[in-house]
Amino acid sequence: MRKLRFAYGDAEVLRRVSFDIKPRSFTVLLGRNGSGKSTLFRLLVGLLKPREGSIAVFGRELHQLPLRERSRLLGFLPQHHHPVFPFSVEDVVLTGRAAHVGLVPKAHDRAVVREALEQLGIEHLIAKPYTELSGGEQQLVLIARVLAQKPKVLLLDEPTSHLDFVNAHRLMALVRDSLCAVMTVLAIVHDPNLAFQHGTDFLFLADGHVFQADSGRPPWSSALLERVYGVPMETVPFGQRAVVVPGDVSKPRQP
Amino acid sequence: MSPWIRRAVVFAFPWPVIVLSVFVGPQESISPRDALGWMASAVVQGPPADNVDFVRAIVWDIRIPRILLAFCVGGALAASGAALQAVFRNPLVSPYILGISSGAAFGAAAALAVGFLPVYGSAFLFGMAAVGCSYTLGRVNKAATPVSLVLSGMIVSGIFTALLTIVQFLADPFRLQTIVHWTMGNLHNAEWRRVLESAPIMAIGGAGMFFLRWRMNILALGDQEAYAVGVNPEREKIKMLIPATLAASAAVAAAGIIGMVGLVVPHMVRMMLGPDNRVGIPACFLFGGAFLVLVDDFSRALTAFELPIGIFTTLIGGPFFIFLLRRSRLGWAS
Amino acid sequence: MQAVDFRGKTVSLTEPARRIVCLIESALSGLYMLGVSERVVGVSSNVYEGAVRPYYEALDPRIRSKSLPAPGNWDFINTESVVALKPDLVILWAHQTEAIQSLESRGLVVFGVFVERFADVFREIEAFGALTGTEERARELITAVAHELQWLEQKLETATARGRPDVYFMWAQGDLETSGGNSTVNELIELAGGVNVFKHMPQEHVTVHRESVLKAEPDVIVMWVNPARDPVHIVSDVRWRSVKAVKDKRVHELPDVFTSDLWTLKYPLAVLTVARWLHPRAFDGEDLKARRRTFLERLYGSAAVGQVADHVPLD
Repeated sequence: MRKLRFAYGDAEVLRRVSFDIKPRSFTVLLGRNGSGKSTLFRLLVGLLKPREGSIAVFGRELHQLPLRERSRLLGFLPQHHHPVFPFSVEDVVLTGRAAHVGLVPKAHDRAVVREALEQLGIEHLIAKPYTELSGGEQQLVLIARVLAQKPKVLLLDEPTSHLDFVNAHRLMALVRDSLCAVMTVLAIVHDPNLAFQHGTDFLFLADGHVFQADSGRPPWSSALLERVYGVPMETVPFGQRAVVVPGDVSKPRQP
Repeated sequence: MSPWIRRAVVFAFPWPVIVLSVFVGPQESISPRDALGWMASAVVQGPPADNVDFVRAIVWDIRIPRILLAFCVGGALAASGAALQAVFRNPLVSPYILGISSGAAFGAAAALAVGFLPVYGSAFLFGMAAVGCSYTLGRVNKAATPVSLVLSGMIVSGIFTALLTIVQFLADPFRLQTIVHWTMGNLHNAEWRRVLESAPIMAIGGAGMFFLRWRMNILALGDQEAYAVGVNPEREKIKMLIPATLAASAAVAAAGIIGMVGLVVPHMVRMMLGPDNRVGIPACFLFGGAFLVLVDDFSRALTAFELPIGIFTTLIGGPFFIFLLRRSRLGWAS
Repeated sequence: MQAVDFRGKTVSLTEPARRIVCLIESALSGLYMLGVSERVVGVSSNVYEGAVRPYYEALDPRIRSKSLPAPGNWDFINTESVVALKPDLVILWAHQTEAIQSLESRGLVVFGVFVERFADVFREIEAFGALTGTEERARELITAVAHELQWLEQKLETATARGRPDVYFMWAQGDLETSGGNSTVNELIELAGGVNVFKHMPQEHVTVHRESVLKAEPDVIVMWVNPARDPVHIVSDVRWRSVKAVKDKRVHELPDVFTSDLWTLKYPLAVLTVARWLHPRAFDGEDLKARRRTFLERLYGSAAVGQVADHVPLD
């Protein structure tokens, strides 16, 4: 049983928000620019401290846990940047084992790394210098690193922002198919259609509040959507799911 | 070359250098045969030759302690440089650039001048103070860019060099070595006592870096990257700065400031073995030690008089570093 | 009044110098010997420091009362303070070219000194004699020194005919700092009846390899006045143990910087000191204490030497 409860954030950005996330779900958090998504993300990973309220993972208070233990519960992808030293992919992924390793990683840790790379189908990159990979490959390596970290919950902040259209979908599918089998994933995503195609649960952030989609009704048909994005929405059925298209965007109504 | 061959070369290179250095000396000194003869007789207790005292003095009292000191100092500086480069994710830093060397030289000289402070302790404290200042001053908006860290380090280094000069002026001129001994190194004063008091401190610093060597990889990837896997980057940096500063400051207290070893050797090792500090740290210690022993061989054999070793390391290291800068970007971007 | 200084420049004055700023300690000694101490209006700050201070305090009441200004030393010169003293003659080292230039550009007369050989000391005292109108006294001093050297040579004649010991000279800055063939130290050793083991090296001051010293096997080690190390330290230092001088315990340290001076007319005293170490039997039956006193009196005058002797031991 897992419960993420959270209330009242930083500088009135988030007001008494509270929500739970189901174990092994692929929960997607949607919201417009400036809605507080990044603040929420930073609170969840511990880079910010809540002024009030608490965040619990598996019933354990996140902000009271030592960093090392927290990282075994909660993983996240760091912001994308160019590293200085040309570490090999294996060395990069191996650092994901930091919370499990004493001073120097052992054979077992290397096996975990291999497994993580195989799971993502990038084991052929193992000896390549990380700095020479493409943006998409680097993103996959960082995901392998988080897999090697073996957290119970994974937080992703716009994981597709550096990826092209196809790679973005490939990544989302991979998260749902491979990662959700072993952990719970909460991702911030900009594009609702990308989210609707791959996510299992949905959260909306607007006006400093978090709204959970009503269970039983598909998220794209929810009236919430218009409230969250502040524009009229048209829904186009697409297979089992649907695609949403914003209506008149020339006169945006502020939420 | 396969990585295993490269690794073998780097780890095998130092040993013959160290051993053969025992046979290197000024032209008019003993022949390699004499030295070998003495060592053989020292081992098997053979009949002593008539010049045994002289050969023993040269080999045992002069050459071996000097080679050992050069090895420890070079190793400590190179390993410390590699650690600092990883910790600050900055290939342009070294104990010298971050002011640790001049801080430690000031600390050691001040302790010698007042006479009652422990020299190595004082060198360590001021080395830590210097790197602390460099890091604090070099942080712009919570993050130190490679260039801002180098600039603040140079300023801190300049301040401590000025303080060192003041100590030199205030102190009894015969109590301290002359300023050039501090700023350019002085291996020619090596003796067993100095080896025995400084080597354990450099070894402790080296062991500390050795134990933390894999964790340096985590920091070398980035602060947020370290945080994400459960490592507090600031606390981890301090944890690594302590052994790195300990080794470098002991090297400076024992032999003065020897530039470029801590900057250039980590680059050489990275070129050959890659950036993984698990091999990098021990390789830097061995290779840096052998590098300084080799450079010192030239300074012992080429001129009839003693020149401070720092002159040679800087003359060799400077152009090499410029070559590196031009060949690759060395991470100036980002 | 004119004299050629050590830069090769002719220095001329219309009348004998009356206000002299002398920033070289050894040259100051020369002025005291010439008997023109009262014309000195500025001295080197080195006179107020370290081991030479008691001697100058005894020689000059103005130094004792700290009333004689010291606008610089051999390294740093406060141009403004020198100018403010309105000297008609400034004495500096000849290689302090920038300081000399800045003083000359302000209309001051500068005499540059460079002492590389003992002969330079004679040249210096002659020039000072000329510029201060004391040529007669200068000649007297030179004769006295020549006489002393002649006596020494004669005393050492038989001993040196039998052999000249090898000498390693050790400066105070470090065990390995010595002087090559082009130096007053080399002359000192030769006049004292020895051979400088590093006379083949051209440098005036040089740091040599320890191995080279060991290889040279000196019979005697002569240490310059050294506050940090004494002969006992050298004798007990394992790194020196194979050296003959150390085995024979023939390591000696010059007693004090004032009477062991190698850059003034006092240098026969240092020669005598070293000669006794190299050839102990050569001076049997001589009252060397009295001889040194007499020689010093010839240089500084008996009254001055009496004052000095009241304050500091002279042997």
